[in-house]
Amino acid sequence: MTLAELSKLLFSPVTLLLYTTSMLAYLYAMAFTKVDRSADEAALAGNRARILGSALAVAGVAAHVAHILTRSIASGRWPRGNMFEFSSIMALTVVLGGLVILQWRMRRAEVMGFVLLGALITLGLSLLVYAEPAPLAPILDSWWRAIHVSAISLAAGIFTMGFVFNALHLLRDTAERRVAARTEAFGGSTVGAAFAGTPTDEDHDQLVDTVAERANPDPDALHDALHDDAYRLALRDALADRWLGVRFPWRIALGSIVVVTLFSLTFQRTSATLAMPLITLAIVGLAWWAVPYLPSASTLDSLAYRTIVFAFPIWTFAVITGAIWAEQSWGRYWGWDPKETSAFLTWVAYAGYLHARATRGMRGRGASWFGIVAFCVLMFTYFVVNLLITGLHSYAGL
Amino acid sequence: MTRIDSADPPEANPPVRRRRSRPGPLGFVLESVRMAWRWLTRMRTALYLLGVLGVETLVATVVPQEPNVPRTVTAWRAGTEGPGETVSAFIDMIGAYDAYGSPVFLATLLLLFTSLTACLLPRTRAWWRIARSSRPPRTNHLGKQEQVARFETTAEPEEALATGRALLGRRRWRLRSPDADPGAEPQVAAEKGHVLREGGSLLFHLSFYVLLIGVVLGQLLGFSGQVGIIEGDEHSWTETQVAYWSSAPGRWWSGDDHRRFEVTLDRFDVDWHRDPAFGGQPSLFLSHVTVTHPDGSSREDTVGGNDPLVVDGMKIHQLDWGYAPRVVIEEDGQVVHDGFLTLSATEEGVWHGAAKAPAADPDIGLDLFLVPYAPTDEAGRPQITGAPWDDAPLLLFRQYVGDLRLEAAQGVNTLDLAGLVEMGNGALRPGRSVDLGEGVTVSFPELRRWVGFQVSRRPTVPLLLAGAVLVLLGLVPALYASRRRLWMTATADPSTGRTTVTVAGRAFQRPQAFAAEYEDLVRALRRELPAPADPPGPSPASENRTSDPRPPREQVVRR
Repeated sequence: MTLAELSKLLFSPVTLLLYTTSMLAYLYAMAFTKVDRSADEAALAGNRARILGSALAVAGVAAHVAHILTRSIASGRWPRGNMFEFSSIMALTVVLGGLVILQWRMRRAEVMGFVLLGALITLGLSLLVYAEPAPLAPILDSWWRAIHVSAISLAAGIFTMGFVFNALHLLRDTAERRVAARTEAFGGSTVGAAFAGTPTDEDHDQLVDTVAERANPDPDALHDALHDDAYRLALRDALADRWLGVRFPWRIALGSIVVVTLFSLTFQRTSATLAMPLITLAIVGLAWWAVPYLPSASTLDSLAYRTIVFAFPIWTFAVITGAIWAEQSWGRYWGWDPKETSAFLTWVAYAGYLHARATRGMRGRGASWFGIVAFCVLMFTYFVVNLLITGLHSYAGL
Repeated sequence: MTRIDSADPPEANPPVRRRRSRPGPLGFVLESVRMAWRWLTRMRTALYLLGVLGVETLVATVVPQEPNVPRTVTAWRAGTEGPGETVSAFIDMIGAYDAYGSPVFLATLLLLFTSLTACLLPRTRAWWRIARSSRPPRTNHLGKQEQVARFETTAEPEEALATGRALLGRRRWRLRSPDADPGAEPQVAAEKGHVLREGGSLLFHLSFYVLLIGVVLGQLLGFSGQVGIIEGDEHSWTETQVAYWSSAPGRWWSGDDHRRFEVTLDRFDVDWHRDPAFGGQPSLFLSHVTVTHPDGSSREDTVGGNDPLVVDGMKIHQLDWGYAPRVVIEEDGQVVHDGFLTLSATEEGVWHGAAKAPAADPDIGLDLFLVPYAPTDEAGRPQITGAPWDDAPLLLFRQYVGDLRLEAAQGVNTLDLAGLVEMGNGALRPGRSVDLGEGVTVSFPELRRWVGFQVSRRPTVPLLLAGAVLVLLGLVPALYASRRRLWMTATADPSTGRTTVTVAGRAFQRPQAFAAEYEDLVRALRRELPAPADPPGPSPASENRTSDPRPPREQVVRR
């Protein structure tokens, strides 16, 4: 087995599998950690799952780093030369950022499942633009390239995390608002709100079961638990509400299919076009299932802001180093090349998000939508401009 | 109620104040102007303008731009590429082929900068006031702050407050002067981070003016020109206005600003990865040049892809290259054309150009194609490959005779076929010649290369770099510095003879980081103040409201 083959093997399946199992463990942990606050925390299945998830994520990072190292040895250079390598590093940034910042510093392991999901999607997209390790074009042989591309991939990875939080915030916020409105309608009864939409027997059974499972005789705790569970059911139910005759998840799914089809057209792979709607549906279903276990909407909003605020100066720095490199390499610092333009557009979009956060009446949902749009612009900059629009960044010729 | 001297920065969306307007048409105009100004200065408007800028940039990303890719734009206009002629006419109508030169784009920039100015003027004034003499506000709601701690000490209240003031001063907190409120209950009021955060934000926004000035001045003062130089050419190229193939001098650039140095291209190294797996990817481009200054001194140097050469403040970049075959055309023993042609690359890996011999009678034109690597197979026939290396070059040409119409504008590498008749064609290896009949021979003595250089002077690049550094220097504190306030009171309890110290704090950003800083401050304060010998009752209450069992504050204030 050559080094290049080993490198490929380390990436797929080893890294991909480790990340996937880690994501599943984290999702399990998210759903089952808060079963009973009074019990010994370390003994809970949810916590064990979280530790397992962290271990798998760390192992995944190790495999990922090994893949990058073997690939660089195989091609005799640092892997910053093409889209596959860029995406791979972006995904590594997402996982590392999640582990270090989110789990270790902020102690917010419950959203790690979704962070890994974001990393997995990035990796999946990178497989669509897979390229064998190859030597570098001489025009790319510059110190500024190393700095510029590192900063761009770092910022893009953190922006991906920010997007995950923005999307989850909008989802959770919608659910919370609807539950609040219903609770109001039911005279403050969350339990009433939980069954306001479609009180099926199944829902009721689940509620009774979870309450009965508790061996805690303390009536206050029981009431609290009942209240919590009712709130969770209400959150999920609120998202299944009908809107213009279409159920809410279906609406997301329809919108996503449109976007994803556009994406697939960009990559021009039939398999991707066929698989993507299914993947999107799975993600939407997952998000709907997970909505009760997510942190509160305001926490998610603040997580999104903190992530984006972290990435924005890095992106700014990357655009500046890009201009410095362009001055050195192409003899002009700014030439309105499509890639330069769209990097600037991404910068403007994220600046818009930050300003929206500072504008009264736009905080919360409005700002989050800005964040979603900004991430779409980032993806446009990355995939559409690279694959469909030719410019100097296509590295054709000198 | 005490006056708040250290006001927060002005609101992002100031409320529109209604003033009594002057009657009559003048009043109407004034009122309209005032309203327009008010609208322009709102943050929401700036957001919309950023959105408009984004949309324009998006259009310019998708639609090819004439200054960048004129050929693609021509193809779009003709309808041979892109969405078709109708859409192209619409694109032309809105001026999207040159989006960054269009009046709409310039108007957006102007409005954005006006909005920025209007926003920054009051903010800068307010910031200057705070930075020069800040008076952190007192609070009447000590117990309602995010962080509250109480402890007892045997020190006198005045002494406790003085200790607190000294501690905060050492940690670079801005303190409200104790003499600011005569008659009021003594209170220590302090704040930190206001000047840094707002100052960073101001610096970030102000540096865009630096960038704007740098770009505009650079356009006016700068120069850039392109020229192709043939490898080993005995005639050196002199840096003057007329010597360039094309140039873009700034409005304030005069012919006297040219440096008049001479450049010869001694050698051009180019190589490729010949492994078929990499598809002939290039591995090396390097020009070896000799630069001779007007005073006669000369030096040898190299110009590489990422390694421009600076001569007398002008930068020489290597941007392009091509093959340069020497083509000699003879008519009746008379040389009518002898020179190197600067061929340009085509997508098929074949190099294209034209030789024009107006000295012949009638004019002779050759439409040429060079295949760099066309090895001869067993049958003795050249195999055309797409490989870029010139190990077996083959020159193919079509001969035209007639009128070259050189009086009309035409490209160096294309023939105007309108006045020409095709006569025949031929193929040449280097060093060979071919007789085309009627006394015309074409020979291909040697193959060299030419390199396209850009010579430019951009005097404002250091200014732009400074502006970019300022953007970053401003951005980091604007996003990361947190504003926080701290208050402290001390009340004596006559029954025990002890003093109760209350410390309260509030962070406007990053509450978690502040909680740690606050705890550290309170700990330091308690260390410095003498503690009572036997603390009565349970341990002193250090109450942290964020660890309150009630839902976190952020949920309470939600709309």
